[in-house]
Amino acid sequence: MVATGVATSLTLALALAACAPADDEGTGESGGTPEAGDITLWLAGADTNDDLRKYLVDTFAEENPGSTLTIEEQDWTDLVTKLTTALPDAANTPDVVEIGNTQAPTFTYAGAFREISPELYDELGGDKLLQSFVDAGSIDETKYALPYYYGSRYMFYRKDIWQKAGLEVPKTLEEFGDSVKELTSKKQSGFAMGGQDWRNGISWVFANDGELAVKDGDQWTSTLSDPNTVKGLEQWQDVFENASNLPATAKDEAYWDFINDGTDGGAPEGATIMAPGWARWSIGDLTKGDDGKEVRDGMADDKKFDIFALPGVDGGVAPVFAGGSNVAVSAKSQHPELAENLLRIIYSDEYQTMLAKAGLGPANTDFNKLMTVDADGNPDKFGEVAVATAEASKLTPAAPGWAAVEGASVYEELFQKIAEGGDVTALAKQYDEKLTPMLNGQAG
Amino acid sequence: MTAATETGTGVAAPAAAPAVRDAAAVARRPRPRVGKILLGALGVVLSLVWAFPVYWMLLSAVTPDARLRADTPSFLPTHFTLANFGSVLTGSGFGGALRMSLMVTLVTIVLVLAFAFLAALAISRWRFRGRTSFVLAVLFIQMLPAEGLFIAQYKMLSTVGASAPVLGLNSVLGISVLYTAMLVPFTIWMLRGFVAGIPAELEEAAMVDGLSRTKAFLRITFPLLAPGLVASGVYAFLQAWNEFTTALVILPAESRQTLPIWLRSFLSASANRGIDWGEVMAASTLIAVPVIVFFLFVQGRMTSGLVAGAVKG
Amino acid sequence: MTIATPASTIAIRRRRQPATPYLLLLPAVLILLVGLGYPVYWQVVTSLQEYGMMQQFGAPPTFAGLDNYARIFSDERLLPVVTRSLIFCLVNAFLTVAIGLGLALLMKAVHGAVRITMQVVLLLAWATPLVAAVTVFRWLFDYRAGVVNWLLVQIGLDQYQGYAWLAQPLTFFVVATLVIVWMSVPFVAMSLYAGLTQVSEEVLEAARLDGASPAQILRHILLPLVRPVLAIVLLLQIIWDLRVFAQIRLLQDAGAPISETNLLGNFIYELGIGSQDFSGAAAVSIFVLLLTVLLAAPYVRSLMKEDAA
Repeated sequence: MVATGVATSLTLALALAACAPADDEGTGESGGTPEAGDITLWLAGADTNDDLRKYLVDTFAEENPGSTLTIEEQDWTDLVTKLTTALPDAANTPDVVEIGNTQAPTFTYAGAFREISPELYDELGGDKLLQSFVDAGSIDETKYALPYYYGSRYMFYRKDIWQKAGLEVPKTLEEFGDSVKELTSKKQSGFAMGGQDWRNGISWVFANDGELAVKDGDQWTSTLSDPNTVKGLEQWQDVFENASNLPATAKDEAYWDFINDGTDGGAPEGATIMAPGWARWSIGDLTKGDDGKEVRDGMADDKKFDIFALPGVDGGVAPVFAGGSNVAVSAKSQHPELAENLLRIIYSDEYQTMLAKAGLGPANTDFNKLMTVDADGNPDKFGEVAVATAEASKLTPAAPGWAAVEGASVYEELFQKIAEGGDVTALAKQYDEKLTPMLNGQAG
Repeated sequence: MTAATETGTGVAAPAAAPAVRDAAAVARRPRPRVGKILLGALGVVLSLVWAFPVYWMLLSAVTPDARLRADTPSFLPTHFTLANFGSVLTGSGFGGALRMSLMVTLVTIVLVLAFAFLAALAISRWRFRGRTSFVLAVLFIQMLPAEGLFIAQYKMLSTVGASAPVLGLNSVLGISVLYTAMLVPFTIWMLRGFVAGIPAELEEAAMVDGLSRTKAFLRITFPLLAPGLVASGVYAFLQAWNEFTTALVILPAESRQTLPIWLRSFLSASANRGIDWGEVMAASTLIAVPVIVFFLFVQGRMTSGLVAGAVKG
Repeated sequence: MTIATPASTIAIRRRRQPATPYLLLLPAVLILLVGLGYPVYWQVVTSLQEYGMMQQFGAPPTFAGLDNYARIFSDERLLPVVTRSLIFCLVNAFLTVAIGLGLALLMKAVHGAVRITMQVVLLLAWATPLVAAVTVFRWLFDYRAGVVNWLLVQIGLDQYQGYAWLAQPLTFFVVATLVIVWMSVPFVAMSLYAGLTQVSEEVLEAARLDGASPAQILRHILLPLVRPVLAIVLLLQIIWDLRVFAQIRLLQDAGAPISETNLLGNFIYELGIGSQDFSGAAAVSIFVLLLTVLLAAPYVRSLMKEDAA
């Protein structure tokens, strides 16, 4: 039945595909309300909490009578795999997808996303949207993927341990390095950080005015060998070697565990960590949650736990890597109007407010100020530091081959080798040669 | 090598009359017994070593996470709790994934056994043109790396699914067909030995006694093959139950994921919050239990199946 | 094996209508064509094209001839991956079969209760699903709270305090080998044990009484008898261990030097999905297929000869 089955169904599929646009035209010409349908939104990871999801689903159903929104959660680990197979497939593509900001350029260049018209772009917030993220999803002036949320990283530290050692919140990057080195013992990392963790490590590069790669014309060049970059990498190497007891291969560790007290009140394994803002809810003393399970109290004891922004080389705030994601409509979506309606909900004032309240950096920078006050309108130190670091934050290069670079874990490898004490200048040269063709998408 | 220690001093006098033999055997008994006890001890020690990972999984699953991070691990369930299972089972889609895994595995076993059995019958009972090429092809297909195939598999199922959703993406049948194609080659190899081991004369004798060909096959040959089918079925079961790369791509809908995918996403979600090893071990236990139950269920037949298969090679 | 031969030569039904065997093969051939036909065809074609992310999203692929193969062979990553995979495969296959044989002989030698214990334990290991098994080993070897490090420190090896097993390629592969051997030995041990049970006690007793040493019994009676099974399980282990993918990937998830621990399967995956170099991945796949066929050829030939006898 099947040897010919493939061929037959191919023809069938073509025939079906030929019929499909008829539906679209119908909806397009009727103007105003698009034809009812069911659309799918893929969210990556669990950062979008249940309240936010419920709001999207309910509001969408309300504003688009007869249509429904289904949200499916995808793993960050396998997101690229699933997007690569599903997005080109008109029959099964999700209509709207969340995608890591560093993955966005590759898919944008490949033509995976539907263009966002200048009118729609303006309607959704235009220039108020976080521009570094907008750039990650644009080709020249044409927009494809827009910011969804950002999360910048700052330092969480054990105030009690720092104070006991007579140390103050550092003013410069160098001072930070010296302090965490002083706090390091065999049993305690002054700064608990994994060697492969380049997303934290590149802050030292950015702080020294270094770049990972620059674009000249339409060619990207890896610039690890740039003196500023090398200086940053060497500074990071020094901090890792002398202040962190973690393996050179560690990455994406649950760093917050390191500054929490050990089991039965034992000393913590680290004095300082660098993490995204939501790490707060995994830090603190144990208390019983509503469901009776033991949870952390979110750093309630401010004599014990506190935060600061990573200081710059000459003071101020160091530019840190901004994590986060973009959102885009699939080019193959069968319901592009409905998908755009979903974008309108995402960029609505209500939803942006909800994002900010949930501790996720809102796409629309107007809502940043919401993060700096708590529910009662009092200043919120977490929000303040988050916004301060976000303003100084930087993204990775929006090169077409960036997802390939991440997919092949090239920076993980480089940072591991640096963490193991390798010669930074030689490694930089070696990896520049490897990275430049990859960044331009020439490996694929 | 281990057997070598068994009768260490076995170089005995040349055999004489049976009576002398018996006497000699009786006389030597005590020594082998010591050897046997030592071997038995070795067997127990090795069993403990082999069982340890499973024991540790079960133990961690019933221990609160905070305990697991203690400086001194405890080797007994001193802080027994079922809370880990509770938090794994609530709202995590385990039930759906279990159902999906069971369906996919079942359909795959049935398809694999049916198709492989017929092919094994053909190559062990007949010599025909193309037989050798077929056997070789079957062997070589196993050597193809599957990691490059799934984009094409996705395209294929998506295209087929456009006209026949029952065979398309997210369908039990669709992924079962892919699994069957991957598993049929080895199963043919396995079953070939069993089929060859059943003399066709038995069937023919039954036919002489007046049974039809089909009846002779069903009553005589088939029961003899049962252990072989069980052993092959176990193989297919394990493979289909364990597979995750293809399932990841072919079953994109969250509601259609199989257990390995479920465990993997559970693990990575847990990693984002700082791995809760207690919960992760509870989740691992949950996906292992159906297999262990299945194995205990078919164990007797499987061992005899391996015996029969082993002789034929 | 030869025992079956006289019967089957008589049984072969040359005179019956030759269509029957072909009809019997039809379902298997069809399922292979359906399940693998198009994917394999796609892989061959893609290996001859320039096929990257653009093409995946609809740009027409261009014919590239053997460019991809040339590119792959000049890729400095390929040779280390191939060497590593071959060594890993052979070490694991021989280790698995050797331990499996040892356990099978032990099971044959020990008393009923111990034997049943061993069988149940092996069954447990065999039944543990792959993802669960790798997860458990990750936990056993966890650098902070893993029980292996704890035990090593207890016996006085202080350097294992917080030792990261997955951080160095060598120790990474030690853990990977432990997982794979742990999971694969049961199948080998049970199959070989099943073969060993075919030797009747009388034969062994007679051999002993005739003055055969245990080593002689092993070499002249037991091993020849399980040789065919041994040959097959070894071939299967080699084929399977060369294709190891999931175990490595799941271990790498825990943080490891990725490019130094990639085996062929992981390399193909990383090239294809990771770097969107689908044509390169396809070319490596075809190369791996040819390599395996080449490796297995002498072995297969001897198996076929036995089969034809």
